[in-house]
Amino acid sequence: MRLDILKKALSNPLALAGFIIILTIFLLAMLAPLISPYDPDAINVKAILLAPSFEHWMGTDGLGRDVLSRMLHGGRISLLVGLVAVGISTLIGIILGALAGYYRGWVDTLIMRLVDIMLSIPSFFLILAVIAFLTPSIINIMIVIGVTSWMGVTRLVRAEFLSLSEREFVQASRTLGAKDARLIFTHLLPNSLTPIIVSAVLGVASAVLLESGLSFLGLGVQAPQSSWGNILTDGKEYIQFAWWLSLYPGMAILITVLGYNLLGEGLRDALDPRSGSNR
Amino acid sequence: MINLFRYRPQLRFLNTIVLNKSLITIVLGVALVGCNQPKNQIAIDYSTPYTSTEGGAMISAMTAEPSGLIYMVAGESASAAIASNIFNSLLKYNANLDLEGELAESWLISKDQKTITFKLKPNLSWADGKPLTSADVLFTWKLVIDENTRSPYASDFQLVKKADAPDPLTFSVTYDQAYAPALDSWAGLSILPEHSLKGQDIHTTSFARKPVGSNYYQLDTWKNGENITLSRNPNSVLGPANINQLITRIIPDNSAQFLELMADNIDSMGLDPIKYSRIIPSRPELQKKLNLYKELGNSYTYMGFNLKHKPFDDIRVRKAINYAIDKQEIIDGVYLGLGINIASPYKPGTRWSNPALSPYPYDPNKAKTLLLEAGFKDTDGDGIVERDGKPFAFEIITNQNKEREKSAVLIQRRLKDVGIDVKIRAIEWASFISRFIKTGDFDVVVLGWGLGLDPDQFNIWHSSQQAPGQFNFIGYNNPTIDKLLEQGRTELDPDKRMKIYHEFAQVLLEDCPIVYLSAGYGLTAIHKRVKGIANPVPPAGVGYDSHKWYIPAPFRRNVISAQ
Repeated sequence: MRLDILKKALSNPLALAGFIIILTIFLLAMLAPLISPYDPDAINVKAILLAPSFEHWMGTDGLGRDVLSRMLHGGRISLLVGLVAVGISTLIGIILGALAGYYRGWVDTLIMRLVDIMLSIPSFFLILAVIAFLTPSIINIMIVIGVTSWMGVTRLVRAEFLSLSEREFVQASRTLGAKDARLIFTHLLPNSLTPIIVSAVLGVASAVLLESGLSFLGLGVQAPQSSWGNILTDGKEYIQFAWWLSLYPGMAILITVLGYNLLGEGLRDALDPRSGSNR
Repeated sequence: MINLFRYRPQLRFLNTIVLNKSLITIVLGVALVGCNQPKNQIAIDYSTPYTSTEGGAMISAMTAEPSGLIYMVAGESASAAIASNIFNSLLKYNANLDLEGELAESWLISKDQKTITFKLKPNLSWADGKPLTSADVLFTWKLVIDENTRSPYASDFQLVKKADAPDPLTFSVTYDQAYAPALDSWAGLSILPEHSLKGQDIHTTSFARKPVGSNYYQLDTWKNGENITLSRNPNSVLGPANINQLITRIIPDNSAQFLELMADNIDSMGLDPIKYSRIIPSRPELQKKLNLYKELGNSYTYMGFNLKHKPFDDIRVRKAINYAIDKQEIIDGVYLGLGINIASPYKPGTRWSNPALSPYPYDPNKAKTLLLEAGFKDTDGDGIVERDGKPFAFEIITNQNKEREKSAVLIQRRLKDVGIDVKIRAIEWASFISRFIKTGDFDVVVLGWGLGLDPDQFNIWHSSQQAPGQFNFIGYNNPTIDKLLEQGRTELDPDKRMKIYHEFAQVLLEDCPIVYLSAGYGLTAIHKRVKGIANPVPPAGVGYDSHKWYIPAPFRRNVISAQ
C-alpha cells in the first residue's frame, strides 16, 4: 500500500521533480566529504575572493576557502537542521494533538488555547527571542525551531482524531472494550499518518528557510562551520563584486525549499482522498 | 577634530577606522542631504581645478544614530562625530598633532607644574549670540565632575583640586600633583553653554537634541533614523567654514552605505580593505569619482586573555599562543596588507612607540615547547594537548565585525596546529559588552582599542581599573606596570616620559597579557567633488581641517533646501 502511494505521488510530474531534487541534494550532502574538491575550512590567504574558475567551480570566499566545498558541507548542516527540527515539532504536535483530539473536554481546551497563544506570536521573533538567551549552536537551533513550530501539526492531528473517533471501526473497537492506548496507537494514529507526513515534508522546507535566516543573522550555525545561511551573510558585503558568494547559497536554499514544497504538494494530492480526481 | 576618543573599545562599526578620531570627523561628521539624484549629468570631469568657494552640501553616512549630542554623557563615537562639528574645546591638536589653542588663546603652566591658566580668545560667542566666557568653562568642569552626571570621562577632571574663573577671559585649574595628561584632557572636553543648561538634568535635557554650540556648524534638523543636518554657524568662533551644510545619513548597514556611495547619494564613507584595494580599483567608474585616503589610525586589534581564568594565568601558555599565531598571515589575509605588525600599544612611528621592541615571531615549534613546559601534552593522540586529563580548549568571543571574525578563524586554525581546540563566537555589540565584557565571563576576546593622543593608558592596564564597566576587563595586575603608569601620569618632561612608556611597552610585551594582531589603516573614500582635502593624509587625520574643504559650484548637487 505504501508503495502504491509513493507511485501515485510520483506520477505527478511536479512531485517527481521535487523528489529528484531532494534526492540529489541529499546524495550531494551525504557524499560531501568524498566529492568536495577541497577541505571546506582550508584557508588560503593568497586566493581571496577568486571568481569561479575550473580550479574553484564556485569561486572562493573572503578567506580563500573553496565555496563549492563549503556549500556541500553546509548542505549537510542545513538538511540536518531541517529534518531534526521537523522531527521534534512533529513529535510534539502528535502528542499534544492526540491528547486534545482523543480526550477532548478541558484537555482539548487547554491545548488548543496554548496553540492559539503560540500562533499569535510571530514565530520568527519568538525564535529570535529564545536564541538570544541561548548560545547559538546547531543543537540549540534544531531544538528551538522544533519547539516553536509544532502548532500546525497539533491542529492537524486533533482534527484527524476528532473525525476518526466517529468512524465505525473505531466505535466498534471501543465497544469491544479496547483501551485508550490501543485505540490511539492501532487505529487513530496510523490512519492520521498521511496528512502528518505531508505536513512534515512541507515543514522541512520552512525549517531549512528558518535555519538559513538565523545563520544569516549570525544567530545560527557559527564560524568556521559553514551553512548556506552564513555563506550568504559573508557574501552580503561584497554582493556587487563577488556575486558567487550570494548566488550559489541563495540558489541552493531556493531549490531545496522548492523541492520540499513540490514533493509535499505532490504527496498531498496523492494521499488526500478529498482532493482531486485521484479517487 | 576634538580628541574625544580616549580609551574606548571600538564600537560595532565594521571598520576599525571609525574609531580613529580624525576619521570620524570625516566618515560621520561631514554630510549632506540624501536626495535621489537623477543621473542626467554627462560625465563631469571632477579633476578640473577650481578655487575655494563657499556653499554646497556634503552628505556622509553613519551606521548608528547618536543617543544625544552631549558627548560627556553620551560617550559614543556617533555622538562625538556630530558634536565635534558643533562644540569647541579649550585646546585642539593641529595637523602635526601639536596642541594649540581653540577657545583658549594661550595657556600657562605654573612653575610647580600643578596649575594651568587658560586665557580665552576675546569676543567669543555662542551660536545664539550670547557671549562665551570662562564662566561657561567653569560650568562645564563642574558639570562633568558632578556625581549625577555619570560621565565615563569624569576621572580626568576629578583630579582637578581647584578651578577658578577670576575674569571672563581667564580660567585656571590646580591639580594635587603634576598631571601629565591634563592638557590632552582639556582638548577633549567640549565646552557647553551655561545659559542653556543651567539647572537642567544633563541626562534628560532637550539640549541633547537641540544643542547650542560655538564651532563651525549648528544643528539644523534631526530626523530620527534618517538624517542629521548641520548648517553653518554664522557666529562660529573659528570663522566661517566653506561647505554650507553637512548632512549625515543614518544607514545601519555597511553594504547599503556602499551602494549609496556608488549611486552618488553619499559623498564619503569609511571602507574596509576589500572595498579599498579590490572593489574600487577594479571599477573605473568608481575610480573616476572617488578619492581614496589611507592613514595609520591610532588604534589596534588584539587578542586578550582573561587572566583570571586558568590556564591563561600562566605566562608560558600566553607566550605559546603568541608564538603560535601568524600575525603576518592575518595582516595579509584579513587586512590585505593594510596593517602593521606591532609590539607596543602605541601607533608605530610616534615617539611613544618603542623602536627597540619587535613582535613575537611565528614559531609553532617554540609554542609547542612552551606548552609542554606548562604541562600540556597530547596523551591520547587526538591532536589536542591535555593537562591533568583535561584537553586545552577555549572560546574566542568577538563582536560581529568581519575583520575580527576572520582574524579569529585564522587564529583558530593556527592554534589547532599546536594542539589547542578553539571555538569562535561572534556576538552583537550591546550584548557582547553587557553580558561578557562587563561580567568578565569570557576566556579570550578579539577586540580593538582606539586610543587618544596622550600615551597615558592607566584606564586599560592599571590593576585598580577592574570594576565592571572599567577598561581593564582582562584582569591585568602587574605591580611594575602599575608603578610605571603612575609615574607616567605625573612626569611632565617629555623625554623622561618617553622613557617611562618605552619601558612600559617592553614589560607589557614580555608579560604578554594580550597578543597584538595588527594596527590597521583607516581607509576612507570621499567623492571628488569635495576639494581641498590634504593628501597624503597629515598625522592628525584626513578630516582635521574639513572646514577648509569646498565644493565648486558646478559639482554641487541639487539639494533639497529648507529655506
